[in-house]
Amino acid sequence: MNKNDIDLSIDFCGIKFKNPFLLSSSPVSNSAEMVARSFEAGWGGVVFKTLNSDTTPIIHPSPRMNGYGYGNKRLVGLQNVEMISDRPLKDNLADFLYLKKKYPDHVLISSIMGFSNDEWAYLARISEDNGADMLELNFSCPHMAVEGAGHHVGQAFDLIEKFTNTVKQCVSIPVIAKMTPNITDMTEPAIYAKKGGADAISAINTVSGISQIDLDGFIPKPNVFGIGSVSGTSGPIVKPIGLRFISDMAKCEDLSLPLSGIGGIETWIDALEYILLGASTIQVTTGIIHYGYGIVEDMIEGLTDFMVEKKIAKVKDLVGKALPNLKTTDKFDLKRQGRARYDLTNCVGCGQCYTVCRDAAGFALEWDPEKRRPILNEDKCLSCMICSFVCPVSGIISYTEMPEDWKRQDACVMDRSLETQIKYQPFNANPLISS
Amino acid sequence: MDKRYDFTQAFAEADRCLLCHDAPCSKGCPANTDPGKFIKKFKMQNIKGAIRTIKENNILGGACGILCPTARLCEKECAGSHLDRPIQIGKIQEFLVSHGRQIGFKVFEKPESILEKVAVIGSGPAGLSCGAELAKKGYKVTIFERMDEPGGVLRYGVPSYRFSKAYLKTELEDIIHLGVKFECGHPIKKDGEAEDLLNKGFKAVFIATGLWDAASIFDENTEGVYNSVDFLSSPHTGRLDIVKDQVKDKQVAVIGGGSVAMDCAGFAASLGAGDVYLIYRRSFSQMPAEKEERIESLEKNIHFLILNQPEAYLTNDKGMVSGIKLVRTQLSQAKGDGRRSPVEIKDSQWVLDIDLVVEAIGNKAFDLSDKLYPGVDIDDKKLIKARLDNCQTSQQAIFAGGDIVRGPSLVVNAVCDGKTAANAIDSYLVRRRAKLTTKEG
Repeated sequence: MNKNDIDLSIDFCGIKFKNPFLLSSSPVSNSAEMVARSFEAGWGGVVFKTLNSDTTPIIHPSPRMNGYGYGNKRLVGLQNVEMISDRPLKDNLADFLYLKKKYPDHVLISSIMGFSNDEWAYLARISEDNGADMLELNFSCPHMAVEGAGHHVGQAFDLIEKFTNTVKQCVSIPVIAKMTPNITDMTEPAIYAKKGGADAISAINTVSGISQIDLDGFIPKPNVFGIGSVSGTSGPIVKPIGLRFISDMAKCEDLSLPLSGIGGIETWIDALEYILLGASTIQVTTGIIHYGYGIVEDMIEGLTDFMVEKKIAKVKDLVGKALPNLKTTDKFDLKRQGRARYDLTNCVGCGQCYTVCRDAAGFALEWDPEKRRPILNEDKCLSCMICSFVCPVSGIISYTEMPEDWKRQDACVMDRSLETQIKYQPFNANPLISS
Repeated sequence: MDKRYDFTQAFAEADRCLLCHDAPCSKGCPANTDPGKFIKKFKMQNIKGAIRTIKENNILGGACGILCPTARLCEKECAGSHLDRPIQIGKIQEFLVSHGRQIGFKVFEKPESILEKVAVIGSGPAGLSCGAELAKKGYKVTIFERMDEPGGVLRYGVPSYRFSKAYLKTELEDIIHLGVKFECGHPIKKDGEAEDLLNKGFKAVFIATGLWDAASIFDENTEGVYNSVDFLSSPHTGRLDIVKDQVKDKQVAVIGGGSVAMDCAGFAASLGAGDVYLIYRRSFSQMPAEKEERIESLEKNIHFLILNQPEAYLTNDKGMVSGIKLVRTQLSQAKGDGRRSPVEIKDSQWVLDIDLVVEAIGNKAFDLSDKLYPGVDIDDKKLIKARLDNCQTSQQAIFAGGDIVRGPSLVVNAVCDGKTAANAIDSYLVRRRAKLTTKEG
């Protein structure tokens, strides 16, 4: 198999996408001028910045974002308080027409948010009338302060059903409901959306959070002239949350709707992880905010190479492929155990493994101060593998399974003589019988 | 070779890349390598894509990653220099090429060889890159090599500590995979033989024979005086043990200030020489060798005798060299071209006791090389006259590139010529095919 055999296109709600990579509704999909450039770069479609109907004036706070770094690594997270589109509706609709004329084989999804039932209906209809291929209902923007809008709706499930139903009544194009992650169980609102007639679910919108506080003024960031706010966190730090919600919905048989995965996607590997957990399209914003539209070239090339390697010709054959291996923790086979294995050939002697094993794990390492190398006491290793997470050299620490008769040493008790003084009775699971 | 990157180190270095919008590094390579692109791909975990970017452009991408003077090419304009230091592009490039081999990734599918036969003379970097490019386009390529094994300067001219032969083997495997045929131990040496290949079924010829005749300082031959070519090629021509005996614990002088001189001095040091003296008649900063090479040589404890000019060799009663008579020089005032030349200091002669001398003052074309291609115009140094933008010689169907055209130059420039020639040969043969079809029609 070679790359000419690979087909990245995918059917999503009956619409063909040339590839599963879309811009999500955000600053990166704010205008046709920008979206056109993204299409040239290779993106398969766009969820346009959420429309507003000109009835509520939209003014973005200034500044509206805060970059969250970790050590030397910039933008592992992004905090933003941007609102829905501040452009006049007619400008956005003219851009719709332009995009559909110039890029007919790219999918245009109109994101809408209403402040009333009628407004939802109005925005849905006007989107369809001006060329949108699909709708995405924004039930999840975390910084619209108006009651009955944004994620306030996403948290009031009957409203999700009601607004979805309203929209479905007045358009014939497919409708995606976009979920907020700021709840416990996403399948519940998703099923309400389904009851309202939604054809697909997208998730996640940004995670409510506070990324940083300005220590001089005691003001959470972004610092909008002295005031900070709980607002939407995005970027690589939220990927685990997004993957979890997508997998929950993919496994929910009552839901069984196509999913569009969002949250912390930058590379083909991130995208593929969403696909393997059940998403059939993926959406990106923060990755583009960090690196620009060009990252899609690497998503396309990287995914294609992976599919060649795995001899899988169609993206749809990857969708949900990891789900059968995703189970609850009670399904683990606890009889099988292992430990870390050390090959010190390339060890540089930093001793981080020793520090973390002592302070966070099984005390399984000793330190040879002469050679400046760790010594592994294999029987004490908890197999937590923390040491391998901090080791700066690849290939030194690996995991190895041990035979069934292998026993791990118990953690040491400092003073056995104190056992006589313990105030203790074994827990009885059924006190009624014992009494 | 320098300590090479493992995955973690390479990725961390790539992560330092600022991903400049207009990637100045990508404008610094004579062979059009695009580090801005392959580093971005690497950073985006598109690792095969990164390897593809390197190898599609340069079949010797691994070798160039190791051998290129990156500090004055791609890394020169790196914006990272303004923060602290440039991204180590060469080392990332080398890592990616090696990593591709480790994971068994083949960039190229074996092309169908359906087009005309093309002959390449010389299997150095120019010949190899030309051969590989032509093979990719579907030509049947035969590379003729006078030595027993392919590689040219990569095998016989660069010491192993700088570029290992095992590494060369892996680079060559990629070229063999493309279907390029090697005829080693097959010198093209008869009068007119290079041109005669056109009568033997080859529709075009690329001459990339390089410069393998060492210039010498004095006319007479003295025992114990090597030229750089014989000295550096000794490990691959069965003379390593003899050379080792002559060098180990002995006093060695290398004459010259270029990269080859640094290699000779480093090679002598690696063989266990007692002391190695590097003799150069100008100043340290005027040495043609790269700054990094000069500093490396200093770190190898090589003694730099700058501003000294050899006048004669002294010999012992067995006729072996035993010393060099040197004269101290000082630099003249700058003239028109700005380069200050050395002027002998009167009565400053002195003698350096020495057991072995290596002359590394530059290579030139073989004396009779022009007889192989009498129809091809050459200059007074017997360098072939060919245009740099298409490697075309004065004779149709004969192309030339690398050092035999440029004079002593970098591996990456030879690679560039190989690519240029392959494209020019392809256009020439496409035109030729079109003409033949018209005639037949």
